[in-house]
Amino acid sequence: MENIEKRVRELFIKLLDMNPDEVTLEANLNDDLGMDSTEVVELTVALEKAFKIKIEDGEITNRHCVGDVVKIVEERLKK
Amino acid sequence: MKEVVITGVGIVAPPGVSKREFWQNIKAGKSFISPIKRFDASNYPSQVAGQIENLNVDGLPRRLLKKIDKFSVMALIATDQAIKDASLNLAREDPYSMGIFIGNVLGGWLYAETELRDLYVEGRKGVSPYLASAWFPAAPQGQISIYYGIKGYSKTVVADRASALMAIGYAAQVIENKKLDIAFAGGTEAPVTPYALLCCSTEGSLSKGPYRPFDKERDGFVIGEGAGILILEDIGHAIKRGANIYGLITGYGTFCNGVDRIMPDPSGRGLARAIRATLNMAGYRPEDIDYICADGMGTKLGDISETRAIKEVFGSHAKRIPISAPKSMFGHLLGASGAVDLIITLLAMQDGTLPPTINYKTKDPECDLDYVPNQSRPKEIERALIISRGRGGINAVLAIERGVKLWKILRKG
Repeated sequence: MENIEKRVRELFIKLLDMNPDEVTLEANLNDDLGMDSTEVVELTVALEKAFKIKIEDGEITNRHCVGDVVKIVEERLKK
Repeated sequence: MKEVVITGVGIVAPPGVSKREFWQNIKAGKSFISPIKRFDASNYPSQVAGQIENLNVDGLPRRLLKKIDKFSVMALIATDQAIKDASLNLAREDPYSMGIFIGNVLGGWLYAETELRDLYVEGRKGVSPYLASAWFPAAPQGQISIYYGIKGYSKTVVADRASALMAIGYAAQVIENKKLDIAFAGGTEAPVTPYALLCCSTEGSLSKGPYRPFDKERDGFVIGEGAGILILEDIGHAIKRGANIYGLITGYGTFCNGVDRIMPDPSGRGLARAIRATLNMAGYRPEDIDYICADGMGTKLGDISETRAIKEVFGSHAKRIPISAPKSMFGHLLGASGAVDLIITLLAMQDGTLPPTINYKTKDPECDLDYVPNQSRPKEIERALIISRGRGGINAVLAIERGVKLWKILRKG
């Protein structure tokens, strides 16, 4: 599970071209990472490809934190 | 028009990505048109273009670059140059008193073509979510407004090859009407992509090269990519902050031909009317004009009708006015061309040098004016006209006057 968290954070860092220190589990996608709706779509598609999972449109929103996104991915992988 | 001055210029074009380098190359009369190598153009009738290789984008965040097309990138770089050139401190300006007026024809096809291919091959999830906001003609206006926090009245003008000059004319009128203190005005175009080149080719006006406006052997124009942005300012605002003044915008006129979808009106009457309207607004007599930066489309009818329009308005004086198409050096920048031509004319005024029309060899009896063939030459320019024309019979003309004279008046006053 630690590995999933690491991979999700790395994906954020790569997509947003941000400093790793800024992408904490508590960071809010909108308030802290400045992500807009199109960046959330890019993230969703990137997660689907990286983890070979299916995430519904609108399941991740920019009201979530990085930790919430990690949880969504973890839950999906359990199924 | 008496209240609008130009206080800064920014240029991204094949001859240079700074005004100094750009002007040195224009003055030298060099050609910047080369074979297209970015994609296989061997099946296209025109295989050459004015291209910018290795554009330095270090000043822009990577997170932004993947969301925008090259035409927005070039507009942002040109805007940055213009702001610095005008010594404009944006933090001191009211964001609601600044606006953006950008001309563009094609949109961001480099981005769109790649993503549309992915749409058809991979389905909707293969498409970048940024496509929707990257490709459309108003994207550069949006990006500039976000990047610099500009919030005043703004407009993107899509009027074929007259787009940039119309955007500038529009911006000048908004400032003249006291609706804005500052306008970022100009145009941007990135037409060197397979689909964009195809669209230009099917119009039937592209040259195989060289691009030789007004020459008897001319066979059309060559496309080029780039952006030009100017800082237009209310004269009182510019004087108050002690800005350097390149020149004044004194007149603007536009009329439609109402004749043909693609071809200009052979008589040049619509253009003649636009020139007259511009001279009237500026309060100039025909003999006041020292230079005309021509549209110089390079087609048989385009150059003949432009010459006819100039002769109709200027009469016997027409032969004494130097007229040139410096775009013969780097291609027609379509929706950005009017901005680049205006910047060239301002730099020509500053330097006291006429920019040439290159590749001129054979005289056409129907184009019998002074086109400043092949070499630049010294001339003091006080007042000039810039002409832009587009498909659908669009004619736009802008009149400008040198800044130095204004300073003399102000010092006396």
